[in-house]
Formats: sequence, structure tokens, C-alpha cells
Amino acid sequence: MAAPILSSSCARAATAAEARFRIDAEIGPRRALVVALDDGAAAIVDRVAERPWGAARFFTAAAVAPRLAEELDDADVAIMVGTAGADADAAASLAAACFERGIMTAGLILGERHAVGDAVAALRPYARNLMATEDEDDVAAVLTALRA
Amino acid sequence: MLKTEVNELLTRIGPGTPGGALFRQYWVPALLAEELPENDCPPVRVKILSERLIAFRDSEGRYGLLDEFCAHRGASLWFGRVEECGIRCAYHGWKYDVTGQCVEVPSEPENSNFCSKVRLTAYPLVKVGDILWTYLGDPATRPPLPEFEFCHVPSDQTFASKRWQESNWLQALEGGIDSSHVSWLHSGGLKSDPLFKGAKGNQYNLNDLRPFFEVAEADGGLFVGARRNAEDGMYYWRITPWVMPSFTIVPPRGDHPVHGHFWVPIDDENTWVYTFDFHPVRPLTETEVQAMKDGHGVHSRNIPGTYRPMENKDVDYLMDRDAQRRGETFSGIRGIAQQDASLQESMGPIVDRSKERLVSSDTGIIKARQKLRKAVEALRDEGTTPPGVDPAHHRVRSAAIVLPQEESFIDSAREAVAVQPGVAHTTV
Repeated sequence: MAAPILSSSCARAATAAEARFRIDAEIGPRRALVVALDDGAAAIVDRVAERPWGAARFFTAAAVAPRLAEELDDADVAIMVGTAGADADAAASLAAACFERGIMTAGLILGERHAVGDAVAALRPYARNLMATEDEDDVAAVLTALRA
Repeated sequence: MLKTEVNELLTRIGPGTPGGALFRQYWVPALLAEELPENDCPPVRVKILSERLIAFRDSEGRYGLLDEFCAHRGASLWFGRVEECGIRCAYHGWKYDVTGQCVEVPSEPENSNFCSKVRLTAYPLVKVGDILWTYLGDPATRPPLPEFEFCHVPSDQTFASKRWQESNWLQALEGGIDSSHVSWLHSGGLKSDPLFKGAKGNQYNLNDLRPFFEVAEADGGLFVGARRNAEDGMYYWRITPWVMPSFTIVPPRGDHPVHGHFWVPIDDENTWVYTFDFHPVRPLTETEVQAMKDGHGVHSRNIPGTYRPMENKDVDYLMDRDAQRRGETFSGIRGIAQQDASLQESMGPIVDRSKERLVSSDTGIIKARQKLRKAVEALRDEGTTPPGVDPAHHRVRSAAIVLPQEESFIDSAREAVAVQPGVAHTTV
């Protein structure tokens, strides 16, 4: 193995001062489609939608169904939000459409663990990434983390 | 992506910071017990949570962890002599006991009581398993001692090591929660490492490189389940517990010992990684222990006499492009531990999370950050004790298990992820 000669060309170059100048290219927002799978989730999604987002769009399952193909055209992640009454059929339809288009799916099921077991099971086949949580803020945290 | 102010909140751990206050709620590893092997042995410098301390073991076997510097002129007690139930500063002979109380100031008259007015900050230092643990918080809220399984099995069933990582604690911890990198970065190790190879579960790992992830709340933190296809109608689940603030257990492989980590901040830009292996029901074999000492599994091969890995930043981690080309390692770096460390250190001392691009498979990391942030804020604003302080939260296990597709990992594996002394772990 050739030994590095300059400090700027070896692992030692990773310093706090240097790191400030990393990854300065503009990073565009993630085009996330957020879909509420039941009435309880719709109320949560409505509250989250009031915050400022980049390119995220928010729907109920019923509202997005007739225009799903159009909405998925430029989406790059679909986030399904449900509570104990999450509609598994709606999740299946959305997931199938995402699968065809190579769009990543994620699911958030909100509520106490013992109350949302069925909803989690309903989403398990369709959400590549699934979170069961009691904290409504997790919806916004996931969207923020994804730059939605 | 994480806002800059939240990144600061979670990564700064010195005295007086909200993140530092969180860590000061917990017992954390301060040293390996082997570092103070006998009474009156040489003292050891310890830097933890940005505080510089000195650890020693007195003539009666009591452990002390004090401010490193003598109250007289500020000289380091590391140069001192451990003798007759105390540590004596080499400069002018001031002597302190394990409580930090000054017990002798030689320059004062023999009947002077001046020394009774001098006391150094001192923290408890307690041996549990192979680890010396400390608690840097308010003595009034000191919790019971830790009850992690790896330090409560018989001594011949457990092994611990440690290594210095040159990065902030959080990016090191996040590697322990992020299961999605294993099939890539560590793929070579699954086939060849003596502490991994041969397990049936490895085939599931290697046959399905696009796992599904599921994150579930636990009383002390999270369970992160990674799901891969197994035989018809079945899923192979690998379940990783995270106990707040920084303890993770890797899901087991076959009958190999179970391993995990405790990520302890030295300061904002350095971390001690305590790594353990244990088996719940049998002694570790000589071969296994030797493999751990040689840096296999999740341990590191350290420079003799130090806890610095041989594959470190100064030598470009001994990058081996030929091994990478031959497929023996995915990244060219030897050993799971330094494969992780090399990449985590390359991110910078404290990675700027406002610039990252997370994807939905990073859900475990997103949820962990959220739980940490909420815990820091609840402690700061309302004095709420965070998850993971209660020793009941420590009694969790990792698991590897094959389940019917329709079953919930968190319900079906409930017994598998609870510590049952004397009962084997659930593994594939």
C-alpha cells in the first residue's frame, strides 16, 4: 500500500475546520406523497400539513385514489400514516402502485402498541420501512429528516 | 436531515450542556476493570463527558475517580503515587482518598486541620462485570447499578474490550442502530469471521440485500427489526435493542456469543467504544476469547499497551485494496469495528447533519434522534428522568428469529427480547 504523503490526502484531513466546507451543492426537497389511511390519521396529517414543507403533498386515501397515478408521477417516496383503523386495502393499492414505479414506501402507525397491532400487521407487507409509535411528532420528524 | 440546533443539542456533552445533563443521568463505563488490576496499581487518566479525571485503586481495593488535578497548584495526579489508601501528588505531596478528600498537606504543621477543608470533585466508580462504571450526575438522583445481561453472567461467559474512536458519540451510536449497512460494509465478515461464520442466518442476510425495517418503541429505547425473506411464508428477523442513551446489542448468529456496544463520549469529538461478547448459558471457548483478543467479531486489534486500534486514522486504516478486490472485505479495511470507525470518522469529528440526505430506511436513526431530543428537552425543561435509567430497561436481549410472515416481530418475539437468566438466547 502506498503511504499517504500529504496530510490533505489521508484520513487525517477529516477535521472540524475542513468539514464546514463539505457537501455544499444545493440539495433539493424530497417529493413525498403523504397519505392518511383512516380518519384518525387524516386529522394528524392535516395538522402536520399546516407546517411549511418543500415538495410534500398531503392526502387522505379516498382523496388520492382517483388521481393516484398522476400524484405518483413525480413522487420519490410515499408515506402512509395510519392509526388503529388503518385501511389495509388502501395501503395495498398505494403500495402496488409504488412498487410498479420503484417508489420507496414507508408507514407510520400511531397509537398504543396493544391497540395498533392489527394496523401494523396490515401495513407490514406494503411498507418497506414501518414505525409503530405513540408520538404524533414522529410524522413531522420523518418528513423533516427526509427533506420533504 | 437534522436542524443544526438539534444536532448541537445532541452532540455536545460537556458540563453545563443539555446533552451532557442527559448523559449525567446514567451509569456509564469509565474503564475496563483490567486497567486497575490490583491494589495500589498505577493510576489511570480518564476523560469522560469532557471531564478530566484520575482513576485509582487504593490499598484496600476501593476504587476512586477524582478530578485529575491537585487542588494546590493544578498539577496532574497521574504523576502521583498510589500508597497507603490514597493518591499523593508528586509535586508537593498532597494526598487524597477515594472520596476526593484531602487527607494530608505535608507543608502544614502536624496538628493542622487545613487538609479537611480541601476536597476534589469525586465520582463513584463501581465494578460490575468486567467494567468499572461511573455516574457523573447529582448524587441525590443516582440510580441503581446497571443490570445489562453481559455484565451479570458468570465471568467465564463474558469478555469486554474497548477502543478509541475519533468522532462524536452520536455518529458512532447511529452505526449500531443502522442495520442496513451490514449486508454491504460487513458482507466479507459474514463469510469468514470466526465469530460470525457458519450461522444459517448469514445466508438469509446474504440472499436478501434489501431488507424491510420496522421500528417499535421499548420502555428504555427502541427495538429495530430488520426483516428478510426466509423459506416460503416465513421472514427472518434480526432484532436490535437500543437502550438510551448509547447501548446496543447486535442480533446473534447461530451459537456464537452475542455482542454489543456501549458508546461513551470522551468529549465532543472522541468516543470510547466498549465492546462486549457474552453467552447466556455457556462459557466462552478459548478459541472464541482469542478471536476477540485478536480483533475479530466486533472487537478491534489494538496497538499493544493502548486502546487505539491498529487500523486508525493516522495510517489510513491500513487500507488493503487487494483484499477489497478479492472480495475478502467490502471496503478494504480489516475488521468490522474499524470498517465502521473508518467511515464514521471520515464524516468529520461531528458530522453536520443539516447536510445529510436520509432515506426512509433510516427510520431507526430518525426515531432514535427524536427520542434523544425529547429526553434532553424533558430533562432540561421539566426534570423528567429519561428512559434507560431504570435498570429494568437494561434487561433486554437481541434476537434472530424466523417467524411466519403474518406475525408481528415485537409480539411474537416478546420473550426472546427479554433477559431470562440461564436460558439460551433466540438465534438462527
